[in-house]
Amino acid sequence: MIADKLSSFIRDAAPYPERGYHLQGAALPCNLPQIAGVFLAEGFHLEMLTCQDRRETDRVFRLIYQFNRYGAPQRHVISADLSPDATAPSIAAIFPAADWYEREIFDMYGVVFDGHPDLKRILMEEDYVGHPLLKNFVDPPSPYRSE
Amino acid sequence: MDSRFEVAQDPQNRDTYYLNMGPQHPSTHGVMRIKLHLDGERVISAEPVIGYGHRAHEKMAENRDYLQFLPNPSRVDYLGGMIYNVGYCQAIERAMGIDVPERAEYIRIICNELNRISSHLLWLGTFLMDLGAFTPFLYAFDDREKILDILDRITGSRLTYCYARFGGVSLDVDDVFLEQVANFCTYFRDRIKEFEKLVIGNVIFRERTIGVGVFAPDLVQKYAITGPCLRAMGVAHDVRKAEPYGIYDRFDFDVPTQTEGDCFARTLVRMEELRQSIRIVEQATSAMPDGPFVAARVPRRIRPPEGDCYFCVESPRGSFGMYIASDGSDIPFRLKLRTPSFSHISTMPAVMPGTLLADAVAILGSIDIVVPEIDR
Repeated sequence: MIADKLSSFIRDAAPYPERGYHLQGAALPCNLPQIAGVFLAEGFHLEMLTCQDRRETDRVFRLIYQFNRYGAPQRHVISADLSPDATAPSIAAIFPAADWYEREIFDMYGVVFDGHPDLKRILMEEDYVGHPLLKNFVDPPSPYRSE
Repeated sequence: MDSRFEVAQDPQNRDTYYLNMGPQHPSTHGVMRIKLHLDGERVISAEPVIGYGHRAHEKMAENRDYLQFLPNPSRVDYLGGMIYNVGYCQAIERAMGIDVPERAEYIRIICNELNRISSHLLWLGTFLMDLGAFTPFLYAFDDREKILDILDRITGSRLTYCYARFGGVSLDVDDVFLEQVANFCTYFRDRIKEFEKLVIGNVIFRERTIGVGVFAPDLVQKYAITGPCLRAMGVAHDVRKAEPYGIYDRFDFDVPTQTEGDCFARTLVRMEELRQSIRIVEQATSAMPDGPFVAARVPRRIRPPEGDCYFCVESPRGSFGMYIASDGSDIPFRLKLRTPSFSHISTMPAVMPGTLLADAVAILGSIDIVVPEIDR
């Protein structure tokens, strides 16, 4: 049972009818590769990986890893709070799906993932300055735009 | 040149080169680029370069309220617009606990499945055009037009629908609509047979697709493949069955699967899905109840309770999910769109190496990507 193996991380069961996922947990960023390894071994896939800019309220970036299984859904949401000046470990070596998700988070939030094979922008252009999904984002002036 | 692209070269064979497929290329079905490293016609490595059509839908969600974001989801995937539009409403309805009247649920099912058929028809036409067959494109668009006419009459739009509302749909349907849908179903059942005769049995088509673009079984779990691509690999997973949303649990339909995981298997799965969608539409049309088409009591202010929630629907391409983080205000704190095409296109560096350039086009066509959905 996956919950036993991750008992130190899984905080509590989430009400599926309201939340859409079955279990949620909080982890330290340094434990993420270990957790991802357990999920891989148990036949889960990384359904989604995203980030939230919670610097104003909690002074952290919250990384949200969502694992699921085919067949009867077993959705597990693991969140990891990252202080704004820290880096997160990459799990792209475990789940290749994380490769692009981590690039997207780097692009949108500026969060750096250690050990990522090729961390570069994915959606914004290569020479873009800034990270658009930050809450304090201001669009930089563009030489191509007429005001 | 990027050091990752350096490969050990045979001294006798130094003619490897790089080719940009796209950003403007008919087979990428949108503005997307694939950086191909080729040895003659054989692909050594492939790297998709995306983001040309990035429209910042997720940023837009953070500076407008839930209702103002309603027109956006159908623009994310313009071929499955109805399914995304309805899915977004269902996500909010579940978070807020809004009940949807029976009639609205049935209308949504019919519109969803008609939209799925029209999306699969467009895929069929363009995929075969990628392979060099022009005629099926005209046949598929002819039939697709009939669906667009039916939906146009009800929703007022032909592609980017904004028909669903929180708690129902914006306009009621009439008997003419039900009659049109019933007529279309009868007509289309015969038409599927014709498509199969034209396409599936065609020897050139079989040569181009059988054994081409096989997804290795371990890719499924590592890349979170969903939708027809997953079912073509023998995993009978469909969100409509696994975690039924709306009233999908009331309908009798099968989840078609194939085991080979090649372009041909993906075609067969989608052809069978056309038939299953027709089955659902027929059941829904015959059981359509009377009554209101929108909930009588919908809160004036859409404010989902504080916390995160996830809701996913089966789009024509796979599992489309929304991760909505609410801080209890009118405006989403964060709305993450989990789109299937994004996951599928990220498998290309693992799938394309070793195939021929012409097969790379077939693979790209067979996974049915929608580029705006990748870029969001």
